[in-house]
Amino acid sequence: MKWLLKVIEKVRPNFEEGGKLKAFHPVFGALEHFLFAPSAATIGAPHIRDPLDLKRFMSMVIISVVPCVFAAFYFFGLRFLAMIIVSYAAGLTVEALFSIVRKEDINEGFFVTGILWPLILPPTLPLWMVGLGVAFGVLIGKELFGGTGRNVFNPALVGRCFLALAYPKQMAASFLEPSHDVAGRLLSWVDGSTADAISSATPLVLAGRDEMVATSHMFLGSVSGSAGETSALLIILGGGFLLLTRVANWRTVAATIASFFALTAALIASDKIVYNSMPGVFGPAIWHVFAGGLLFGAFFMATDPVTSPTTNAAKWMYGIIIGAVTVLIRNFTGYTEGVTFAILLGNIIAPILDEIVISVRIRRLRSEG
Amino acid sequence: MADNQMVCATCQPKGLCGGKGLVTFKEGAWANNPLAIQVLGICSALAVTNRLENSLVMGAALIFVCVGSNLIVSILRKHTPHRIRMVAEVAIIATFVILFDQFLRAFYWDMSKQLGPYVGLIITNCIVMGRAEAFALQNPPIVSMVDGAANGFGYAVVLAIIGFFRELLGAGEILGHAVPGFSSWYTPNQLMILAPGAFFALGIVIGIFNMIKGPDPEGNK
Repeated sequence: MKWLLKVIEKVRPNFEEGGKLKAFHPVFGALEHFLFAPSAATIGAPHIRDPLDLKRFMSMVIISVVPCVFAAFYFFGLRFLAMIIVSYAAGLTVEALFSIVRKEDINEGFFVTGILWPLILPPTLPLWMVGLGVAFGVLIGKELFGGTGRNVFNPALVGRCFLALAYPKQMAASFLEPSHDVAGRLLSWVDGSTADAISSATPLVLAGRDEMVATSHMFLGSVSGSAGETSALLIILGGGFLLLTRVANWRTVAATIASFFALTAALIASDKIVYNSMPGVFGPAIWHVFAGGLLFGAFFMATDPVTSPTTNAAKWMYGIIIGAVTVLIRNFTGYTEGVTFAILLGNIIAPILDEIVISVRIRRLRSEG
Repeated sequence: MADNQMVCATCQPKGLCGGKGLVTFKEGAWANNPLAIQVLGICSALAVTNRLENSLVMGAALIFVCVGSNLIVSILRKHTPHRIRMVAEVAIIATFVILFDQFLRAFYWDMSKQLGPYVGLIITNCIVMGRAEAFALQNPPIVSMVDGAANGFGYAVVLAIIGFFRELLGAGEILGHAVPGFSSWYTPNQLMILAPGAFFALGIVIGIFNMIKGPDPEGNK
């Protein structure tokens, strides 16, 4: 975090009275406050063992998903804006209702969920489903457990799980072939009824039909998929920022991707990848890392400080479980994609892992002492 | 068993075991609702509530079995040796369950097929056995019948509520018929048909019951 503070201190004179960029002082001020000047420190912290406060924490996550948001606009068009608006409107309504009932202030907790939520949805999903899903996720996944910081499950993933089970057909039919123009779809609106909307299968579904999408396309993101999950490059860029600022813990990310990679490579080596029915054309293990929501889930979902374990050893185990379960679901069940379920399972186990790590440590201390 | 020393698990602190008529009914159907308050017998509540029709038949079955078994257990309470009372209760309950099952098979074969093993499984339903143990063994026949009816009724109502919403939201229908002004635009939510939907529905119903009932005055949850 210090380097960011240094950068701000360095450019500050330019924006002060007499500086070259004085006219832009409000912008500078806003950015500075956004990053470093919390209005009030959170009392009931969502992440007890972390010195950051809630507001700055949330700001960092929002900055880090900007590349993915850009990718969503670029590949899938302006409709994504409507999805963001619906997401915030529906989610904040539920938050506000609970705040009124609890007589608490509305806290910043929803701002991250509200932007992550449309990123994990198929880009032409009906807007009412976008709203219903996030309302369900926030209500059942977060508020009923006591609100921000007390939830067991990642609310966005609870919402996605709900939609995947409740409306499987619409979810599968709402994927969109991304724009292959250089200009992208930055100024166009494409939804299920527009003529050039071709509902297209995701790379993982295609792989089941023995059509392998090129790894380079998967890396850049010009493939079908949930709005924010397609571009591996931009996810790594934003996720990297999140790791540098230490908002996300690198152990979780590394363990998830490493265990996924290792297990997939082992399956490829033993000819056991099932979702590709033709043996021998599996694509390299890195292809599978780029496919679907694994990277997005590893960087932005699994690292959620509220629902992931707090001890470092538990974070390794947590990541390994998520990566391994994703491989198992993708290859040995009826689902082509399993990141959502894998992370939710990880969320369930997280407190138990912490418990194990702490009790082992206490036992060791006792035997030493 | 009039002189037995057993303590009633559900209503002993309130001393309502010997209560009469209306008090007993209110206690069983509302204050100690077997599903919403005591959370007993939820296996069947989760399994058969995907359609309202199934829920209603299941509720009726439970009322019948509860009333019948409570009556007989209560009549025989002074003649049943204490040590074998459970075996006797199971035999009595099983008799009524088989009666109902045979009735369904004879006259409502389709319904019988839909409910599958769950009618037979009423024998193991905690509510029936619980009422026989907790109430019928210590109370005269008529009050015992009222108690059985109250608990069966409480179970049936909750089941009907869950079945109503699961069928309405899961299939967009009520009792297999389209709802005017609703089914035409409604997109069925398949989660409500699946078992997880039943968990959510039951959880919400229990939550609402507890909200209406308010905190327990004695402070025990």
